[in-house]
Amino acid sequence: MAERPDRWIGVALDRQIKPGSSNPAIVGGNAIAVWRAEKGPANVWEDRCPHRGMRLSFGFVRDGMLRCIYHGWGYELGGHCASIPAHPDLAPPKTICANVYRSEERYGIIWTNLSESPNAPLPDAGPDQGWQSIRSVYVARQVAAVKGGLASFDWGGGRVEEIGEGAALVNAGGLSLLIAIQPVDESKTGLHVVAKGEGAKDAKARLAWASRLERLRGSIEAQS
Amino acid sequence: MAIKLYDYSLSGSCYKVRLLLGFLDLEYERHPIGFYPEREHRTETFRAINPLGQIPVLEDDGIRLRDAQAILCHLANKYDMSGLWLPRAPELYGLVMMWLMFAGGELMAASAARLHDLLGYDLDIETARRNAHAAFRILDDHLTRREIEGGTWIVGDHPTIADVACFPYTALSNDGGIGLEDYPALRNWLRSFMHLPKFDAMSGISEFA
Ligand SMILES: N[C@@H](CCC(=O)N[C@@H](CS)C(=O)NCC(=O)O)C(=O)O
Ligand code: FES
Repeated sequence: MAERPDRWIGVALDRQIKPGSSNPAIVGGNAIAVWRAEKGPANVWEDRCPHRGMRLSFGFVRDGMLRCIYHGWGYELGGHCASIPAHPDLAPPKTICANVYRSEERYGIIWTNLSESPNAPLPDAGPDQGWQSIRSVYVARQVAAVKGGLASFDWGGGRVEEIGEGAALVNAGGLSLLIAIQPVDESKTGLHVVAKGEGAKDAKARLAWASRLERLRGSIEAQS
Repeated sequence: MAIKLYDYSLSGSCYKVRLLLGFLDLEYERHPIGFYPEREHRTETFRAINPLGQIPVLEDDGIRLRDAQAILCHLANKYDMSGLWLPRAPELYGLVMMWLMFAGGELMAASAARLHDLLGYDLDIETARRNAHAAFRILDDHLTRREIEGGTWIVGDHPTIADVACFPYTALSNDGGIGLEDYPALRNWLRSFMHLPKFDAMSGISEFA
């Protein structure tokens, strides 16, 4: 059974969830759709249409609604079904509702808490402003191995410090990297990485950090 | 003389060619091949047209071409007066060729997975999916760097035949049981491609993006 502990898990970089898009992700074995209307914050829903179970991450966004790709049912922010194309004159019953999870955007990362009674605080990495996205990487190893890999990686002199279970901070020469750690399943972990400081301002530097994260992925996957 | 395409509507390789014909507003005659279940591409008659027994094949003014990538080069070279789809600038041309080869090479693992799942081809599906994921990761890493540089397309500031060649089997990956969860930049590139003017969907690809 997929678990839904009460904690915040980073699932994507804010910048990579485009306006008017729906995107698939897996968190601790739970399939989710991360979607954004034409404007506004990202939403995290169970990746399952209440009609016949089609994945909502395959859906598309129109007029602020997430539409299922299968029969076109449209769901408003909050999850209520507001439109059934086959029955345009029918007001859909209020009981038809997608399963909505809590989500927050902070530090340029989209976080979700899948618990039914979410109380845990978001990881605290200081002020929200000034974070630049570097990239997401998915590593074909479970969380424990990836955390080990983070600790032993050559960050160019930087130190790694865990902040709670779901994130880590690296301080390397005037630059802070925040890494959200997403358990995908028993064999995969996602890392969503943002940076702050002088060294994060120009694209060349961010490209160099993106390459370094590819090396991190390679070094962890090279271990058996 | 008219352009003639030996075509199968569910073929991702034929779709590469149909996409570019559409982007370039070219009229053509469609010669449908009974790929499944008839296996018309394996008949003696069709092997006289393409000894490899594969589609697409394109005929244009006495020239007969096989291989989707070669056909894309031919069409862009001959008909795209803007030069945007096949840029000749030395800093772009080689890169377009490189990603074209990737589309006809490594990315075809996603086609193999799809033939297995959709048409029951007898092949090692685990290997096909693993190789497809390896190819998607390479393309996603590249597109991630392009995003950081402020770019959208595989090469340069305009979509090229490299994008056209890489699009079909990436967009159809779900047909082969391959999810795109791990490839955010690749997903955003797919969506940008589907928003291009004159973009045409095919079965297995949503017309909405
Ligand atoms: N290298 C060729 C490969 C095309 C290809 O794989 N075509 C498939 C249909 S999508 C085919 O004809 N397969 C028949 C076979 O190999 O048996 C190209 O890129 O056009
Ligand atoms: S399954 Fe979603 S609308 Fe039918």
